[in-house]
Amino acid sequence: MNNPIRKIMVYIDGTEQSVTAAQYAVCLASFSGAELIALYVINTRAVEDLLKARIFLRDEQVEYEHDMEADAERYLNYVNELAMKKGVSIVKKRSRGSVNKEIVNAVNEDQVDLLVIGELSRIRSRRDEFYDEAERAMRIVTCSVLIVKDEDRVWEMYESLA
Amino acid sequence: MALIDMVVEKIVKIPLESKDKPDVLRELVRILKDADEIDDFDTVLKAVQEREDKQSTGLEKSFAVPHAKTAAVSSLKLAIGIAPQGIDFDSLDKEPSKLFFLLLAPPGQSGPHVEALAEIAKLAHSNAFCKALIRSDNAREVVELMKGE
Repeated sequence: MNNPIRKIMVYIDGTEQSVTAAQYAVCLASFSGAELIALYVINTRAVEDLLKARIFLRDEQVEYEHDMEADAERYLNYVNELAMKKGVSIVKKRSRGSVNKEIVNAVNEDQVDLLVIGELSRIRSRRDEFYDEAERAMRIVTCSVLIVKDEDRVWEMYESLA
Repeated sequence: MALIDMVVEKIVKIPLESKDKPDVLRELVRILKDADEIDDFDTVLKAVQEREDKQSTGLEKSFAVPHAKTAAVSSLKLAIGIAPQGIDFDSLDKEPSKLFFLLLAPPGQSGPHVEALAEIAKLAHSNAFCKALIRSDNAREVVELMKGE
């Protein structure tokens, strides 16, 4: 049987949980030999919604989109360093729009076998307003999804990787 | 951290005691200081006031979302204040504001900041939910409502 996981995509959003997910994905790619893609989505949809709701001013929209571009660059570079330290190559990918839709599109375009995401909120509110973009993506992507938990254990695993 | 994870009793105050906009901003920042969520009260208050000076974050339907980006915090911080009596906050519809969601974020976490603000904005769309929050008797009830318990 061939390796069932040839392409792994890890979703990075600037949270500690997503960095832990990246460490786990580096370990998985190292063990399996799978290609690793890191995706950061600049959530322009939310910024537009905030402008429409008049929570953001026009100059805030510009400022935050600029900040998110810079964050994307910084976090993707950081994850790239994490991978390079362990001899794993990584494809950095970024897109703009609605997070869950962009994740789904990227999974389809790149024919990803496994999506890796960070730990979700342990609180599951019954209120529809509190949805998590990664959680929504998890529900609708066509590939298998791995949710990474236990930051300390993952860090130890990553550190022990030759 | 998801917005819902930040909703705990110590960052909720009902009723707010303030009578005007400058005082309510101070009272919201004070909630975070008293909850040991921030150290530098003055820097945080200045950041919130500066954003408010550009344009009021008082929206429609009694909702206000003061927010700021400041290096005085290292992660997202939320405070919820409820004033059933209403406070003049220079809102869009000129009506008194009753529900206040203060959100602070450090530079470098613009993505989670934007997503948390978007979640708060969605809450404002539900009239029934906003009314239920305003009618809450205490912080515990607010937390239960937010978490849908």
